[in-house]
Amino acid sequence: MLEAILNGLGGLIAGFQALALDWRSMVMLIVGGILLYLGIKKDCEPLLLVPIGFGCILVNVPLTDLMAKDGFLRIIYDAGVDTELFPLLIFIGIGAMTDFGPVLAQPSIFLLGAAGQFGIFLTLLLALFFGFTKLEAVSIGIIGACDGPTAIYVTSKYAPHLLGAVSVAAYSYMALVPVIQPPIMRAMTTQAERQTVMKYTARPVSKTTKMLFPLVITVLGGLIAPKGLPLLGTIMLGNLMRESGVVSRLTKASENEIANVVTLFLGLCIGATMSGAAFLRPQTLIILGLGFLAICLDTVCGVLFAKGMRVLSGGKINPLIGAAGISAFPMAARVVQREGFKYNKKSFLLMQAMGANAGGQIGSVIAAAVMLSVLAGMGVIS
Amino acid sequence: MDEVLAPVPGKITKLLVKPGDNVQEDDQILLLEAMKMENPIFATSNGKIKEIRVKEGQDVDVDQVLLVIE
Amino acid sequence: MEMDNTTFGLTMLICGMGGTILTLWVMSLVMTALGRLFPEKAEEKKEG
Repeated sequence: MLEAILNGLGGLIAGFQALALDWRSMVMLIVGGILLYLGIKKDCEPLLLVPIGFGCILVNVPLTDLMAKDGFLRIIYDAGVDTELFPLLIFIGIGAMTDFGPVLAQPSIFLLGAAGQFGIFLTLLLALFFGFTKLEAVSIGIIGACDGPTAIYVTSKYAPHLLGAVSVAAYSYMALVPVIQPPIMRAMTTQAERQTVMKYTARPVSKTTKMLFPLVITVLGGLIAPKGLPLLGTIMLGNLMRESGVVSRLTKASENEIANVVTLFLGLCIGATMSGAAFLRPQTLIILGLGFLAICLDTVCGVLFAKGMRVLSGGKINPLIGAAGISAFPMAARVVQREGFKYNKKSFLLMQAMGANAGGQIGSVIAAAVMLSVLAGMGVIS
Repeated sequence: MDEVLAPVPGKITKLLVKPGDNVQEDDQILLLEAMKMENPIFATSNGKIKEIRVKEGQDVDVDQVLLVIE
Repeated sequence: MEMDNTTFGLTMLICGMGGTILTLWVMSLVMTALGRLFPEKAEEKKEG
């Protein structure tokens, strides 16, 4: 009888015993708390960091089996992250929210969206030097895509053990874009270049063009880079729904209900991968560092490319807009607009920056698609 | 005489000056909403506001005259 | 295919950057063509 009572009580103490035995769980509980603090108090991507932070806390309380075979977090993870479903569903919402008008009005701006992705491949190379495997390096490089769902899609498929680190890096640095970019933008341009005034030549885009755009991109992109069609197709589906104007119920659902529900589950699952054993390794710090570098390199390449375009256009292009060629939409465009004002109150870069930013969204998806298809061509992935 | 033009299409959300006000170059004179962002528009020269050709809440086109400074 | 990391990295750099820029360039050409084939008409502009 006494034994039974003692055993029963033991069940209530076991958690504390287990926690005392594993310092890593305690550290990760604090890490989860930090993520929550950043999200709640510092307004740093709270839609992601709050579920991630809480998932991290949940999974690091010992003896709870939430991520074990029948744990509820495991069930959600297997349903949506392992299957790639969650990032793709979010992508539909993103496509539904984006207006590609400014890009379509000036297609040459599109190319800035390509230059802004170069950081991905440079970082990939660097990651290899740091000793990561090929697929791990791919997943680290994709942080440079500056796009949460893309990074999650690639990493959960090819390096799932890095999902926690890559996601935290991707979302934290996306939020830090207003801090990371301006010094680089300033360092790489001359005062005269920064003050360039760009005239907004409003070339209005017809509704037909805006509807054909997602179709063309999907088919063309899918032919060139078939491995990326899930990513490309979902974002373009959202955009087509938006531009057609005839399925506003579906469009609204994609932007709101679907995106919100999935964001919640996705964040929770990412946090759930952040067990002490997986997260607290020197690798994680290196990944965080490389991720930071990726975004810096994106900015450098974007501005450099824009400088080249300036030369070719006879001085008409303000190289600052090159920094908006990343997928952090619309944050990077706003940063460029603000920086433009800083150097010249008469300069209004918003439309061109938005164009570059939207180009960056497409560019990041294409870069990921190209990367995966090249990998398939090389036989590194099936 | 200097005309301040709208650099992009948008909506005037707030006028920060009245006719007769003195302004310096690069002073903020109004707020223009474009692409879901509120953007400041700045005076293009020193002078006095002669006339304001737009109202708060009005939609404007690119290159539309917003106000005149003399 | 067996290959060392440096070869892999450089291949990815070239194919990746090159592929991305080429693809976006082709797309921008297609968009320019689309814009010309389906220009905005006056009635559309009035609808807003």
